[in-house]
Amino acid sequence: MAVLTTFLFAFLFILFSYGMVVAKSPRRILALILASVLFVVLVSPPPAQAQASLVTAIQSVLTVINGKIQTALTAINKVRNTIDSFYEQSIWPVALINQTRSFVIQMINQYRGEMQGMFNIRLNSATLPTPSALETVMRNHQTNDLGALTTSFGNAFGGVPTNAAASPADRTMMDMDDALAMDNLKTLKESDAADDLALQAADNIEDQAGEAAPGSAPFITATAVAASIESQALTQKMLAAELRQEAARLAHQNALQKRGATITSDVNNQILNLLQRH
Amino acid sequence: MKRITEGLKRASVWTWQHKLRTVVLLVVLVLAAPKPVRSQFLDPCCAIMAAGLNTIGSTLSSVIGGGLNGILSIEQDISQFEQTVVWPQSLINQARSLVASMQGIFTQMESVMRLPVNSATLPTTQQFEQNLLSRDTNQIAQTGTQYVAVYGTVPDTTAASPQERNLVDMTDAAAQAAMKRAIEIDALADLELQAADQINQNIATAAPGSAPIIEAQADAWLVRANAYTQAATADLMRVRAIDLADASANVKTGASNSSAIQQQIYNILKR
Repeated sequence: MAVLTTFLFAFLFILFSYGMVVAKSPRRILALILASVLFVVLVSPPPAQAQASLVTAIQSVLTVINGKIQTALTAINKVRNTIDSFYEQSIWPVALINQTRSFVIQMINQYRGEMQGMFNIRLNSATLPTPSALETVMRNHQTNDLGALTTSFGNAFGGVPTNAAASPADRTMMDMDDALAMDNLKTLKESDAADDLALQAADNIEDQAGEAAPGSAPFITATAVAASIESQALTQKMLAAELRQEAARLAHQNALQKRGATITSDVNNQILNLLQRH
Repeated sequence: MKRITEGLKRASVWTWQHKLRTVVLLVVLVLAAPKPVRSQFLDPCCAIMAAGLNTIGSTLSSVIGGGLNGILSIEQDISQFEQTVVWPQSLINQARSLVASMQGIFTQMESVMRLPVNSATLPTTQQFEQNLLSRDTNQIAQTGTQYVAVYGTVPDTTAASPQERNLVDMTDAAAQAAMKRAIEIDALADLELQAADQINQNIATAAPGSAPIIEAQADAWLVRANAYTQAATADLMRVRAIDLADASANVKTGASNSSAIQQQIYNILKR
């Protein structure tokens, strides 16, 4: 770059010198000088900055670093520190988290065994072999012996009479009553078994709560709510069974009423006929 | 050599004769000649710049570097706290395992509740029982017909008084409605069990931040399930209310009949 500049200067200087030598009048010399000055002014680079402005620039950079940037970084640091303290002392204090876990474990120890003991007390009360067998099968929380319940029920409450022993209407109603009673007893065996599973689920959830972290607790809560929905659905199934049973009882009474009305009407007619003959 | 000497003589003569032009050329040469580049070591401007850059460097290192290091340290502290206390991956995985094991329990509960409980032995009652236990709301349309097949119809006008017929019809209606509601509730409970399964499966693949959203949805389902339970309880209460009213009506009818019979006996004896 420096060589190129030197050559360019030499070329222009020779050109200028030639012009000065060959110029024949002072006017031409003046014109050449003016043209050259104009050329130099137009093509020359801007003047370099002074040393004073460089110092000012460095000083201003240092002022920005020590002023605004330092203040901003200090402020950010302070805020992050505050957030850290807030997390560790107010939102998720480790001491309280551990205390809560201990509380869950203490509750498990305090209640679970006692409640299981209460719930497992045998309630069987029948004294004779046949009712005892039915009572046992009714209350055993098993679902693989529903056939045994039918047999035991038949032994305790009898079967539907034969055609010769009862009217078709009576036989139908007896069979329906027995069927709904047995349906419900079977449904109760199923719901007893489901209850056992629900209790097991509750135990599992509580055990897990005793070891949970704030970030894992939402999983446990959510699955507990899902278990509540399951449990609610099972309650509904039991209510549906009870509805069937109550409705059948009402229908049974009403059927008797219908029959009573018919019989009363027949008896009335017969008495009237008898009185008319006399 | 001679030529050079002559050339120099001619130049000096020209210079003597054109003093102004010579001065101008000299001035231009001095002013416009390219100057050498300033040395980094000798130029005071470069020294100032070097010192300034050094100061800027050390200031950046101490002020910005120090500040950023402080922030980094706090961020690392927060990160460690969050990973070990708030959201420890091992406990999150453990909770996910619980959700998976709960799914197993749910499946068992559902299969237990689906075991058939049908017990009727006669064709008419078997058909009716099948309808009542169907969990299929499309079969509600047949419930009325099958009910009548088992429990009979309302007595005709010659067989019972209008009052008695009303009583019988109302009682039948309450019993039938309760049976239909039982079919409905069974079907709804099946759907709730299905939804609970879906929700639980979603929880197993959720993140700690998305699990509360699923929980909110599960809560909504729980509210819905409670509403259905209340509807079933309401129907149960209706059946019992009609039962009570029916018993009361029987007592009223009995009293009225007794009075009528007394009057008739009195009339007969009077003759």
